[in-house]
Amino acid sequence: MKTSVSIQCADFDLGEEYQRLRKLTLSVGAIVTFTGLVRDIESIAGAAGGRSLKALFLQHYPKMTERLLSEIIEQAQSRWSITGISVIHRVGRLLPNDQIVFVGVAAEHRDNAFSAAEFIMDYLKTRATLWKKAEWSDEAQWLGIKQSDLDAASRWDSDD
Amino acid sequence: MLELHFFGRLGDLSGEIDTSIDYGDFLSTPSAIVDWIALEHPALAKELLQPQVLVAVNRVVVDWNKAVVDGDEVAFLPPVTGG
Repeated sequence: MKTSVSIQCADFDLGEEYQRLRKLTLSVGAIVTFTGLVRDIESIAGAAGGRSLKALFLQHYPKMTERLLSEIIEQAQSRWSITGISVIHRVGRLLPNDQIVFVGVAAEHRDNAFSAAEFIMDYLKTRATLWKKAEWSDEAQWLGIKQSDLDAASRWDSDD
Repeated sequence: MLELHFFGRLGDLSGEIDTSIDYGDFLSTPSAIVDWIALEHPALAKELLQPQVLVAVNRVVVDWNKAVVDGDEVAFLPPVTGG
């Protein structure tokens, strides 16, 4: 089992991350990758919303975030048979459409890889010490946690 | 010495607070630290007491009555919004 966790300002290359997981061992039969992007939350509202997202500022608690992500990965390992996991989360000031988070899971079989990737994202969103501040055209505002994210994470709790 | 950290919106409210403070018995738990903060910064203390706010000592989430000792790092964590 090979794992890696990185909190970084720099962007990442999806292809490189994929190749790293692919080359772990010859027993890898499935790789699931997830990439999250900075989304202009209110752009869909169009004229009704009226304002646009200029940037997203990502803050984290150094060392605690890495430890929490490692714990989430350990939990994934104990639930599913996995060959490798890689998690990258960017911090600092990001612009709409920028890559913000990467989760890659390599496993022998796809069902384990799909489940572990979903589990890691759901727990990352609700447990890792990261905070988003939205810079709108007219104001800046720390974002609150979404109920849908809490619900998504809680479905894994009941499996314990 | 205690090192205090305020994350997310709590950081915006803690602008004037000295985040490196001399340790004293009156700061022996996270709850006591909030009581001390309330004396000078009631608006920040009110936010720290919101039920969703968690406290970490040396980067581990703990109970508000956990003992804090000289040299500890105490961080106040609003609900997280990563991903």
